[in-house]
Amino acid sequence: MKRTTDRPGSPTVFHERRTYRRRRVMDAARVAPGLALILWALPMVWPQTGEGTVSSATALIYIFAVWAGVILLTWGLSRLLADEADEPSDDES
Amino acid sequence: MSTLNLLVAVCTAYVFFLFFVAFAADRLALQGKRAWLRSPLIYTLSLSIYCTAWTFYGAVGSAARNGFEYLTIYLGPTLVMVSWWWLLRKLIRIGRTQKITSIADLISSRYGKSSLLAAGVTILAVIGTTPYIALQLQSVTLSFSVFAAQSDGLAAQDQAQVALWLSLGLALFTVLFGTRNLDAKERHDGVVMAIAVEAVVKLVALLSVGIFVVWGVSGGLTEALHRIDASEFGEWHTDRSRWAGLIFLSAAAFLCLPRTFQVLVVENDDESHLRTASWAFPLYLCLISLFVVPIAVVGLDIMPEGSNPDLFVLTVPLALGENGLAMLSFLGGFSSATSMVIVAAIALSTMVSNHIVMPIWLHLSPSGASVSGDVRAAVLMARRISIVAVVMLGYLYFRMSSGGAALASIGLVAFCGLAQVLPAMLGGMFWRGATRLGAFAGLTAGFVIWLYTLYLPSFGVGTILPMSIIDNGLFGWAWLKPDALFGITGLDQLMHALLWSMLFNVVCFVSVSLVTFPSPLERLQAAQFVNIFDHSTSARSWSGGTAQTEDLMVMAQRILGAGEAQALFLRHARRQGARGNLPAPTPDFLEALERELGSSVGAATAHAMVGQITGGMAISVEDLMAVADETAQMLEYSARLKEQSQELSRTALELRNANQKLTRLSIQKDAFLSQISHELRTPMTSIRAFSEILRDTDQMTPAEQSRYASIIHDEAQRLTRLLDDLLDLSVVENGQVNLNLRDGTLRDALDRAVSSAGIGEDGVLLDIDRDPSREGIVLHTDLDRLSQVFINLIANARKYCDAKAPRLVIRVMQEADRVVIDFQDNGSGIAPDAVDMIFEKFARVSDQKAGGAGLGLAICRQVMTRLGGSVDYLPAARGATFRVVLPYRTAMAAQ
Repeated sequence: MKRTTDRPGSPTVFHERRTYRRRRVMDAARVAPGLALILWALPMVWPQTGEGTVSSATALIYIFAVWAGVILLTWGLSRLLADEADEPSDDES
Repeated sequence: MSTLNLLVAVCTAYVFFLFFVAFAADRLALQGKRAWLRSPLIYTLSLSIYCTAWTFYGAVGSAARNGFEYLTIYLGPTLVMVSWWWLLRKLIRIGRTQKITSIADLISSRYGKSSLLAAGVTILAVIGTTPYIALQLQSVTLSFSVFAAQSDGLAAQDQAQVALWLSLGLALFTVLFGTRNLDAKERHDGVVMAIAVEAVVKLVALLSVGIFVVWGVSGGLTEALHRIDASEFGEWHTDRSRWAGLIFLSAAAFLCLPRTFQVLVVENDDESHLRTASWAFPLYLCLISLFVVPIAVVGLDIMPEGSNPDLFVLTVPLALGENGLAMLSFLGGFSSATSMVIVAAIALSTMVSNHIVMPIWLHLSPSGASVSGDVRAAVLMARRISIVAVVMLGYLYFRMSSGGAALASIGLVAFCGLAQVLPAMLGGMFWRGATRLGAFAGLTAGFVIWLYTLYLPSFGVGTILPMSIIDNGLFGWAWLKPDALFGITGLDQLMHALLWSMLFNVVCFVSVSLVTFPSPLERLQAAQFVNIFDHSTSARSWSGGTAQTEDLMVMAQRILGAGEAQALFLRHARRQGARGNLPAPTPDFLEALERELGSSVGAATAHAMVGQITGGMAISVEDLMAVADETAQMLEYSARLKEQSQELSRTALELRNANQKLTRLSIQKDAFLSQISHELRTPMTSIRAFSEILRDTDQMTPAEQSRYASIIHDEAQRLTRLLDDLLDLSVVENGQVNLNLRDGTLRDALDRAVSSAGIGEDGVLLDIDRDPSREGIVLHTDLDRLSQVFINLIANARKYCDAKAPRLVIRVMQEADRVVIDFQDNGSGIAPDAVDMIFEKFARVSDQKAGGAGLGLAICRQVMTRLGGSVDYLPAARGATFRVVLPYRTAMAAQ
């Protein structure tokens, strides 16, 4: 899809508020996987021996809680991005 | 009825049910009721093809052995799905726009429709997937033997029988529903529907076992968690490198496995389905893995020492007497295994037939694509044979490995092998500089290292790789030991292989891409892939003209089927506005045709087939321009900006000058008005005064009377002269003057001017320096007017020259096409800021030396313009220099 705002001919600096919001939602959709990755990488720095080891049940709850959060976040973002994703494709046949 | 018989009966019934579902879905699709067959929910469920029997049974086994590591296998795909916005959306758009049929097709299409790359990826996929299919067969036979153990056990011979019948059944199902049509979209409604049903079955089965274990056996959630803490799991223990590496590996595999690529990209019907799947599939994965740990913990608790933890999902309910639940669990595992084999076989057969069989067939058939005969049937047959071959290869692998423990680890080994495609794939999607040779180098390096460090050793020590190599390294070089490349030991074998293969893969891919130069078609495809959202048109690659539409028609009919091909040709003929049913072979049409063919036989083959008929692989100028378009647009835009700003500053400068001029003109006009009124008033005052004296004085001598009268007369004459000048100017300006053209020499005109203007009223003598020898040019012009101009210039010199001994040099130069007369005095010249004003009306250099009304030079310029010449001030010269130019034409005419 050609988006006029991406054309060098008309570089728009200021968008109306709604457009601006939608772009930030897109940004959020881009960084969401990074957040999920960081949260799931955290168990790597948990102490493995000695004091302060994390119990298995806690670890399990943590990982699944992050999972639920990620699902909810993606659900919310996918709803907000509905218009963008449903833009008509160029499949002419 | 024994459990085993019941099992066989249920299993058969389930298989028939699946056949029915697939059949009904295909029928519905044929009737055009695809809307609900292709809902986001079905799409999401079909993605669960990722969860095979290996994950169904193996996850619990892995949890029992390695703790939480099993989670990574689900976290990776979750991350990929969450990255839908920037990754999967682009991938699917590329897949849809370019009509990609498989992962090999994607790579080949991106890198200039290279057949070699496609074949390479296909071979990699076959090598990586065959053991995986064997693993599925093993899991089904194992689960059968679990039930058989309840009654009378299952002999090894029977296990092989089960595996054989299973593979035959799966091959039959896949051939039936996977190759029903070779249609444009390469989508299989029946298969996808069956997979979605199986996805539900495996989820329900695993959840049921989990709920039974948590609430039925452990007695609630809290107790289950306590039990976990009390079990061998105890505290958090995970190999950190494996945790990170496996998340990466599973994410890569989710993108690169042929079967997941098939459902994720190829079978995708609508891009918006991805939006739902982005959260729904992570939810599915979350639910699938939710009860794995509780099941493993209970299994470790209640099952006897040494029992296979891979089968806890099945054995725990059986041990607790829940036969119905065990049956459901068996069906779950069965579903996981069968759906994987079916889709993997479809994906692999598409790749094998499109990228290996068809190119060879094209190469072997003497007259190429235009030979008569039904290619359509040949392609379908190739695909069917490929399906049977792939499944049977899996069976053979299963028999040869005799279901040993080696199979258990093959899942991750396969993941690692197929992950080698990832750099070329992502590089191709996001980096325009990635080249075919780079991709080939990266894939080869990764593949070889994977083969050497992981795949071959996975068959067991001493099977394929001899002990000597494992112990001492290849050729006896210790740094080439398959489990410790470059002498780095201590790494887990899988992580070791992953690290080195991916490292060499990426380094080779990037560095070779950097130093090689892509072909035009590659660059075209690169631009198409990377900027897929900017221009969702496909690559243009044919500049036809020599192509014979009839030949294309024959070929298209054999691949697409007669009806569809005719409809396609007719549609394009209508679009082109052509008469008859055959369109002209324009690049647009060839491109569309190639895409249609590509969706049946793959981009590289379609490209080659169209190429054989059109007889060229040329890329039209427009295509290259389209690639350059982006750069050109930027350049053009910046050039335009620059031009505009230059124009703006030019305009501003002009405006400023104009404004200054206007301001000065306004001041001059005021000055002129006061001057003209002064000039008019002075003689008028004299005239009035002297006429009053004449009227009122009675005694007046005649001499006095005569003197006064002559004063009045002189003053009146002065007035008249002034008014004449004004009138003259307006006449000349309006172009109403009649030129009195006659012949005469320039010398005469100058003589007249000098004699009338050389000596002024104030008696100041102007020394005039002339060169009469050069003045003998015969002119055909209005000599009176010309003299008038000369008079004016000489009078000006006399009036304004500020030298002590005023001197005027008059030089005549005869040039090729004009005569130039310079009037140069020895004064200080005209002040630079006054130069552009002197030819304006009423302009006078200074008020003090006010002599005339300031109309002289304005009249001169108008006169010269009328005579076809010009009069200008030369600012660079010494003293005030005026240059009169007469066109030589005027002079020549006189000769």
